[in-house]
Amino acid sequence: MHSDPPDDRDALREKIIGLGETSLHKSYYPELQNRLAELERFRALLDQTYDAIFLIHAETGMLADVNATVSAFLGYSKKELLKKSFIDLVAEQRKARFIEYVRKRSDLVSGSRQTCTTVLVSRDGTEIPMEITVREVTFSGKRYVTAIAQDITERLLAERELRIKESALESSTNGILIADPTGAVMYANRSFAAMFGCEEASALTGRNLEAFFADPAVGGEITAHLLDDHAIVREAVGLREGGSPFHIQVSGSTVLNDAGQPLCIMLIVMDITERILAEQLRRETYAQLGKNIEQFAILGDHIRNPLQVIVGYAEMIDDPFAEKILDESRRIDGFITELDRGWLRSANVRQFLLKHGDGSSSARKIRFRFLNVKEEDS
Amino acid sequence: MIPRNQLDLRKFVAPEFICGRGALELAGRYARNFGMKQVLLVTDRGVRAAGWAGAVADSLTEAGVSFTVFDAISPNPRSRQVMVGAEVYVAEECNGIITVGGGSPMDCAKGIGIAGSSRRDILGFEGIDRVSVPTPPLICIPTTAGSSADVSQFAIITDETRKRKVAIVSKMIVPDISLLDPEPLTTMPRELTVDTGMDTLSHAVEAYVSNASSPMTDVHALEAIRLLTSALPAAIAEPENLDLRFSTLLASLHAGLAFSNASLGAVHAMAHSLGGAYDLSHGRCNALLLEHVMAANYGAASDRYDRIGAIIGGGETTPAERVAAFRRTLGITETLAAAGVREDAIPALAAAAYADPCMVTNPHNLTCEEIERIYDDAL
Repeated sequence: MHSDPPDDRDALREKIIGLGETSLHKSYYPELQNRLAELERFRALLDQTYDAIFLIHAETGMLADVNATVSAFLGYSKKELLKKSFIDLVAEQRKARFIEYVRKRSDLVSGSRQTCTTVLVSRDGTEIPMEITVREVTFSGKRYVTAIAQDITERLLAERELRIKESALESSTNGILIADPTGAVMYANRSFAAMFGCEEASALTGRNLEAFFADPAVGGEITAHLLDDHAIVREAVGLREGGSPFHIQVSGSTVLNDAGQPLCIMLIVMDITERILAEQLRRETYAQLGKNIEQFAILGDHIRNPLQVIVGYAEMIDDPFAEKILDESRRIDGFITELDRGWLRSANVRQFLLKHGDGSSSARKIRFRFLNVKEEDS
Repeated sequence: MIPRNQLDLRKFVAPEFICGRGALELAGRYARNFGMKQVLLVTDRGVRAAGWAGAVADSLTEAGVSFTVFDAISPNPRSRQVMVGAEVYVAEECNGIITVGGGSPMDCAKGIGIAGSSRRDILGFEGIDRVSVPTPPLICIPTTAGSSADVSQFAIITDETRKRKVAIVSKMIVPDISLLDPEPLTTMPRELTVDTGMDTLSHAVEAYVSNASSPMTDVHALEAIRLLTSALPAAIAEPENLDLRFSTLLASLHAGLAFSNASLGAVHAMAHSLGGAYDLSHGRCNALLLEHVMAANYGAASDRYDRIGAIIGGGETTPAERVAAFRRTLGITETLAAAGVREDAIPALAAAAYADPCMVTNPHNLTCEEIERIYDDAL
């Protein structure tokens, strides 16, 4: 025989009679209280957010509701704000543009989001640049616009700083290249592109570093070195788009994240072809100059030695022409002495240049050959 | 038998109701007063064809209340139909339900309210006091006089998968307002008038003998029996007589107030089991079972049954026989077997009836074997 325990049946009967714990007539009040509590919690959340939230009557533009952040930003009480239209809060010089923006988008599909920037004015006249996301919504058959505004003052400053930095990078006369740790190019400035014969800097993005060196292995070496030591300065031979090589100096550093991991590498590249050629020319000139000084010293010796013999003979003979010979010899010696002085000055200049140049010289040796030059002459 | 004492705790819950000619036309006004902006108008195709759903729609339109009609409802409404209705309710962003029709649309509307508010399957609410989320405002406009769903805390939904009826009992689903207009009753066919009338009588009898009855429910139960037994045969004879129809409507209202608070008994428990398995008319099932249950229960509430018998009147000796005679005068002469019930199905039917919540308030604590015997007697 089927039978439930009497207690169960009694409990059911109590409920049917209406005496159970939850045998209650329908009441929306407890649920209403729950929903109100939920709304209050939600309201508290909205008031805590850094965003200013506006609910606007779509037809009139009047504010229907605002969160506490709006009052904090603009300095008006909520009561004051609810007597204003949204456009009242927009800076005078931005009103026309904002109205035009709203007008153009008024036929958009309900529910779609739009973002614009404008300037709101607080009670004390402070202008606050805001980025505003607007969306049309319908509650209880009425159309509203929600506007969520973010203060973008700091963002604009940061963007300005970033733009300056970007401009500095972009306008640098040195080539600047940023690559990821594998050597793939992330950014190259105009100067870099021009240096390597590329019309568009953006076209270089994605290429590997090795493509810019006559010896592709150099690109890998630089990358590897930077990942190990985080800095490098070296000269190399670059390779233009057309395949022509040229001399470059590469200064590189590694950009690290907070954990010390490499984020990217940055190279500053200078075209040093002219410098290299100039150094080469200078070296050749110095060599030629040294050779010439040496030859002139030999020439001086070759003239002065016979001249000393001639002077010796002329002093020994008694001849009316002897004096004339001596005069001419002294004149020639004067010329040579003058030449010696000139070359000595040239040698000093050369010595100075060499001191700041490659250091290889035979000037010292040459100088001691002009023993007859007086101290004041030097 | 549970001893009765008038000092026992009892509760009486009733909705606000307006009865009289033209009550239906107040639908729009009350919808607006309840703050309904978008109404789900729950009905069935028969009621729609009879024009009563249209009359309610006109009232809503006049009051400036929008509505969506949901009429995909069969007799003995299925859980699937409830869930489809709940989907429509949510999709159409409705905030109130008006139902116009008999017990099926009204029970379905209650189910839609439960499922729509809780967003859960309706079958999960089977039993007593399982509804915790308040349902949306519900206005009922009955077009039959029998189910009393317009005032009761019951909703009976068919679990089509398991072929059984599920009773959802909760004071949360007592309608917010009932508009009792006799005019829609005039389009009821004879058979429906008879079946719903016998449903009213069953409600009243079972509420009166219920072990949860109270002095308050007794008043309504006895008045329902008195009104019904006098007005129903005449209303069948004069279907367009508004006074007679109104008497049957009042009888249904009294019976509803009685059974919604005192609950029911074995007749309904067994009828739910039958209706779930055979998709039979609920009122007809009650009519075929009532006298047999009365006979089985008699010893547990003889004085009450005797009082019922006295109201029904007639020359028969027992109250059960008087009810049987009344049934026959209405033209209900068949048995359960004639309705298609097979003898070998009785154990399963009895088991389902035994588990039905209505059985809890039957005056006699019937065993499964006793329930089987009652089915057997009615066969």
